[in-house]
Amino acid sequence: MNTLREILSPDFLLRNSVYVSVLVGMACPLVGVYLVLRRLVFMGVALPQVSSCGIAAAFALHTWRIIPHVEERSENLLAFAGSTVLTLAVILFFAVMERRGRGSVEGRVGAAYALAGAWSILLLVKNPFGEHGLLDRMKGEVIAVANSDLALTAGTFGVVIVALFLFQKEFMLVSFDRDMAVSLKKNVLGWDALLFVLIGLTISMSVLSVGPLVTFGFLLLPALTAHQLANTMRQFAVLASVIGGVAAFVGFYIAYRWDLPVGPTDVALLGLLYGVAILIKKLFLARASAR
Amino acid sequence: MTDNWLLRMDDVAVGYRRRIVLPRVSLHVPRGSFAGLLGANGSGKSTLLKTIIGVTPPLSGKVEFASCDGREPVLGYVPQREALDSIFLRSSLEVALMGCSGRVPAGRFFGGEEKRLAQQCLELAGAGDLSARRFSELSGGQKQRVLIARALAAKPDWLILDEPTAGIDAAASQAIMGLLARIQREQKLTILMVNHDLAAMRRCVEEVIWLREGQVTQGRADEMLTRDKLEEMLNLQFS
Repeated sequence: MNTLREILSPDFLLRNSVYVSVLVGMACPLVGVYLVLRRLVFMGVALPQVSSCGIAAAFALHTWRIIPHVEERSENLLAFAGSTVLTLAVILFFAVMERRGRGSVEGRVGAAYALAGAWSILLLVKNPFGEHGLLDRMKGEVIAVANSDLALTAGTFGVVIVALFLFQKEFMLVSFDRDMAVSLKKNVLGWDALLFVLIGLTISMSVLSVGPLVTFGFLLLPALTAHQLANTMRQFAVLASVIGGVAAFVGFYIAYRWDLPVGPTDVALLGLLYGVAILIKKLFLARASAR
Repeated sequence: MTDNWLLRMDDVAVGYRRRIVLPRVSLHVPRGSFAGLLGANGSGKSTLLKTIIGVTPPLSGKVEFASCDGREPVLGYVPQREALDSIFLRSSLEVALMGCSGRVPAGRFFGGEEKRLAQQCLELAGAGDLSARRFSELSGGQKQRVLIARALAAKPDWLILDEPTAGIDAAASQAIMGLLARIQREQKLTILMVNHDLAAMRRCVEEVIWLREGQVTQGRADEMLTRDKLEEMLNLQFS
């Protein structure tokens, strides 16, 4: 109880880390819902890795003076830019290839995952800066979060959530029945592009805050858990976001209380919730068929 | 060729990724008619349908639509129900509401008027009692009725249906065809339907478009669905 009181105190040293964790926990599942619905779960694995590679590339280019020097407090912005540019470029590439119907989607996503992982390590190894803060950043150690970083995270997620809410009708139509959307003269490419930009922005910001593994966990596990329990699309999205937010907070509490790393604790907790949801659904179905 | 057409294709090449499936398509769908599109598996029916609705652009030539009251005709599209993923948690009413998307601008939500219209369309399609049921849990025939309701919610000038009776039992199939014939008669809609069921086609369709070995043959149903013509088109000898 004391730990909880300490975490909730406005003077808590790591309060920004708690806020960032909860924001990631609430925002990622909202775009994760679309990855699950469009059966792009593997993209949810590869894109956080690509995003990490973008961060490593941005710092490498900075260290090698290919891009201009930035002050220490602007590093987060540099990392965000690198992460966003590479993630959006890869999403665009995936979308174009999918539209052309060439090759296998799984093959492309798998190759992107392997290459992004390898290049992240290579760029880190050859970057003296990697020995210091960069490795922690890539691992997603949510320890010290500056107010400006918190504001950037909240602002980005705010834009994403408002856009997802406003254009849910369009995103749902192009995801559910693309051909019908075309027949109704909807700009399917445009709506797909906007949805992928929102997914890319969320992943970039999240990887920057909590790292690729935890991002993947928050993208998919709350959405998969909510899908077991929800009856409507609205319940699905809201429940996924609530599960993510609550798991982020409880995970932080457990990690702080028992001195565990925050990210893996969050993912383990999400896995447990997913298992419980499957069990509940199985019990519910068994009862319904027995009646 | 009659001047009273809603859709016309004149020497249009149809295909995808630069691969020509139907090299010279010339056809027309008369306004207010019930037309059937026939052809064996792999004859190019789906590719032609996707070209007509605008998913796959023609490789050469143009798909022309006559105007309806000075505007482009509104299409109500009924896809094959298997094309819709059951992972989406949508009720039948929500699926029918999607038909109103063409009239509700981006960033605005469906209002009471759209919800009432979607419910009316469900009732017209004989699916009024299914509005709260989850679409993915319906039977084949029930899904087909909901998809027809969705197409009607678009307030269409014409309907395109892709194999609406495939994989459903004879009674449900007959009911669906009866429903389509009634809608066409009462609303004076133009209908273009892909269907393998020759008996159903013979009962409802006035105009037949037949795809065979890359060629398109069109004619009135009473001429195209005769025993001799069927033997010729299907390369069969009926005993």
